[in-house]
Amino acid sequence: MHNVWLIAKREYLERIKTKAFMIATILIPLLMGGFVFGSAILMKKTKSTSHLVVVTRDTQLAMDLKDELAKDSEMTVDTMAPGENVRGVLDDELKDHTIDGYMWITPAKTSEGRPSIEYKPRSKADIATSSSLQEALRTVLVRERLEHQGMVAHDVDAMMAPVKIDTTSSNGNENTSFAVAYVLFFLMYMVVMLYGMNVARSIIEEKTSRVFEVLLATIRPEEMLAGKILGVGSVGITQVLIWMMAALILAATPMAAAMGTGSLAFSITFVQAIFFVLYFIFGFLLYSSMAAALGAMTNSEQELQQLNMFLVIPLAFCMLMIGVVVNNPNGTLSRVVSLIPFCSPLLMNFRISLNRPPAWEIGLSFVLMSVTIYGVLWLASRIYRVGILMYGKKPTLPEILRWVKYS
Amino acid sequence: MSIVALNNIRKVYDQKVAVEGLTLRIEPGTMFGLLGPNGSGKTSSIRMMIGMTVPDSGSVELFGQPFTRDNLKRVGYLPEERGLYKKMNVLDQLVFLGQLHKLSAATARRRSLEWMDRMEITEAIPKKTEDLSKGMQQKIQFIAALLHEPDLIIMDEPFSGLDPVNGKLLQDTLLDLRKAGKAILFSTHRMDQAEKMCDEIALIHRGKLVLEGSMREVKREYPRNRVVIDFEGDDRFLGHSSIEHVDNFGGHAEIRLWTVDGVEPDAQPLLIDAVARGTRISRFEVMEPTLEEIFIEVVGGSIDA
Repeated sequence: MHNVWLIAKREYLERIKTKAFMIATILIPLLMGGFVFGSAILMKKTKSTSHLVVVTRDTQLAMDLKDELAKDSEMTVDTMAPGENVRGVLDDELKDHTIDGYMWITPAKTSEGRPSIEYKPRSKADIATSSSLQEALRTVLVRERLEHQGMVAHDVDAMMAPVKIDTTSSNGNENTSFAVAYVLFFLMYMVVMLYGMNVARSIIEEKTSRVFEVLLATIRPEEMLAGKILGVGSVGITQVLIWMMAALILAATPMAAAMGTGSLAFSITFVQAIFFVLYFIFGFLLYSSMAAALGAMTNSEQELQQLNMFLVIPLAFCMLMIGVVVNNPNGTLSRVVSLIPFCSPLLMNFRISLNRPPAWEIGLSFVLMSVTIYGVLWLASRIYRVGILMYGKKPTLPEILRWVKYS
Repeated sequence: MSIVALNNIRKVYDQKVAVEGLTLRIEPGTMFGLLGPNGSGKTSSIRMMIGMTVPDSGSVELFGQPFTRDNLKRVGYLPEERGLYKKMNVLDQLVFLGQLHKLSAATARRRSLEWMDRMEITEAIPKKTEDLSKGMQQKIQFIAALLHEPDLIIMDEPFSGLDPVNGKLLQDTLLDLRKAGKAILFSTHRMDQAEKMCDEIALIHRGKLVLEGSMREVKREYPRNRVVIDFEGDDRFLGHSSIEHVDNFGGHAEIRLWTVDGVEPDAQPLLIDAVARGTRISRFEVMEPTLEEIFIEVVGGSIDA
C-alpha cells in the first residue's frame, strides 16, 4: 500500500501543479456552459441591428411594420413615400453603406389581394435581418387583415401573443432546468474522457521514457497501475469538486437569478452535485481501467489515437440515447440504457437531473458498475503487466488474449 | 553465500528463446561482467534476476534465498534504457525513487545531495530533468540506483553514452563500491571495459553461456599467441612461417601465431628472423589474447556490437 500511495501522491502533485490543470478547471465549465447556453440563446434568435428603409404609399402599414420590428430587434427603420428618384438614391445609399437594405411595398389593388413586396438587401447573407423582416411583415399583414374583418385590436394582440412553455420539472426542484442537466451531461462526458485518456497517456509516457523499468525493479505492476489510477482520479475529483462547489455557491447567490429566467435559469441542487461526484468516480474508474489497458498495449500517442474508439464508442452511444431519455426519462428504453454500466455515469445521472428515478434503479446502477469495474480492472492489470514490457510492434488480438492467460 | 544464483534458467518469448539453461553465481565483493553482443540475452537475464519477468523454468536466488520481492530493497538497478520523469524536478525525482526503496524522505534527500556532490552535478539540483544533458541524466539515474545503499548493484550497460571523463568517474565509483564489499554486476558489449574492471565474467551468446569464470582463469585457458611489434625498416619478416595472421599498420604490427594443440607457441624464431633482416625493433611483446579475441574465437564469428 505504501508504494501505491507514493505513486498516487507523485502523480497527483505533478498534475495539479501544471498549467493544464488550471486551464481545464476554468475553461471546461465555461466551454460547456457556453455551448449549452449559447445554443439556447442562438435558438431564441439573433437580434439584427440593420438600418432599413421601408418605401410605401401605405403609411399605416409602414408604421405598423416599424413598431413590430422594434419589439424584437434593434433595427433602425426609416419610412419614405415612393417618388421619382427614390430608387436611385436608395441604391446609392446601399452602395456607400449608409443603409443595409430597403423594402419596396406596393399596396394591393383590391382589398382582398396581398401587397407586392420587393426587398433589396446589401448582403444576401444577412439571414437574421431578412427572417426578422419576414416575421414582422407577416404579423403586421395578418393583424391588418383581422382588423379589416372587424376584430378589435386588443383581441388581435391577445391572439397573436407568443405561447410560453414552462420547462421546470414537475417533481419539486423548480430550479432545475434542462440546460443544467445538459451542462452536467456534457461535463461528465468531458471529464470521464479527459481523465481516462490521461491515465493512458501517463502510462505511455512512462513506457516511452522507460521510467517504469526503474519502478518495476522495486514495485509490482499492479501497484503501479493502482497508484496511477488513484493519482489521476484524485486530480479529477479535485477538479470536479471545485466545479461543484463553485456552482453551488453561484446558485445560492442572486447572480444566478440575474443570469436568466425560464429555461435558461442556471441553478444546481446539492443532490445533483453529489450524484455528479459519485458517478464521476465510478465512470472514471471504469473508463480509466480500459484506458490503462489500451495504454499498455501501445507505444505512442498516435497508436493510442487509433484505439481510443473503444472509449469513444460507448460514450457516443450515450449521446445518441440522450434524445430517448429526454423524451421519456422513465420509459423502458431509458431505464435499460441508463443501467448499462458504461452508460450509467452519463445517462442515469442525466435522469436524476431530469426526473429522479426510483432509488432501487440508482442503487442497481452502482452495483452493476462496481461489478464491471472489478472485471475490467482484473483484465486491465493482466494486459498492463505484460504489455508494459513489450515494445515495437502492436500486439494482435490473439497475443493480447495470451497475455491475459499468463498467471 | 552467493549474492546471486541463477540455476538453469530459461526464458522464451513467443517463439524466440531469449535465455537457455543459464547458470551462474555472483559472490560478495566481486565485479561481475555479463558480456555478449546485442540481443544475446543479457537484459533478459537481468530482468529475471530482479523479478521483472519470471523464468519459464529454473530458479533465481538472491542473498541465498529463493527470490522474493522483499529482497529487492537490497538491490540497486540501472536499466539499459534510462528512464526518468522528464518534467520532474531532479531532487524531487531522486527523493521519490528513494522512497520507493523504503527510505524516509529526509534520508533520501540527504543522500541525494551527498551523491550529487560526489558525482559533480550539484548545479542540476534545482533543474527539471528534461533540461539536463544526457550524461547528467545518466548520473542522476546512477544515483537513483545507489541511494538505498544496496548490497547488490545491477547495471545494464552503464558506460554507454558517457564521455571518457564521466566514464572514469563511474568506473572509480564502482571500484570503490566493490572495495566496500558490494557485489556488482554489469553488462556490456565493450570487452576492453570488462577486461580492465571485472574479477569474474560470463560470456553469453544467443542466450547460452559460452564462457564463465574469473578473468585470470579464462585467460589462462588461452595460449599466449599474440605478438605486438613496433619496428622500423624491412617488414619482410612478417611473412615468417610461424605467423597465422597479421595486421600490419606499417611500423606497428599485431600478430597471431600458429597454435598446435593448445601449446604456447615460441615467438623467438620470429624475433631472430626480424633481427637477421636488419629491421630495427623498438617493441616486441608476447601477449595473451584480449577478451574480445577470445570471444570471437569462442563464438566463431561476427560480433554485431
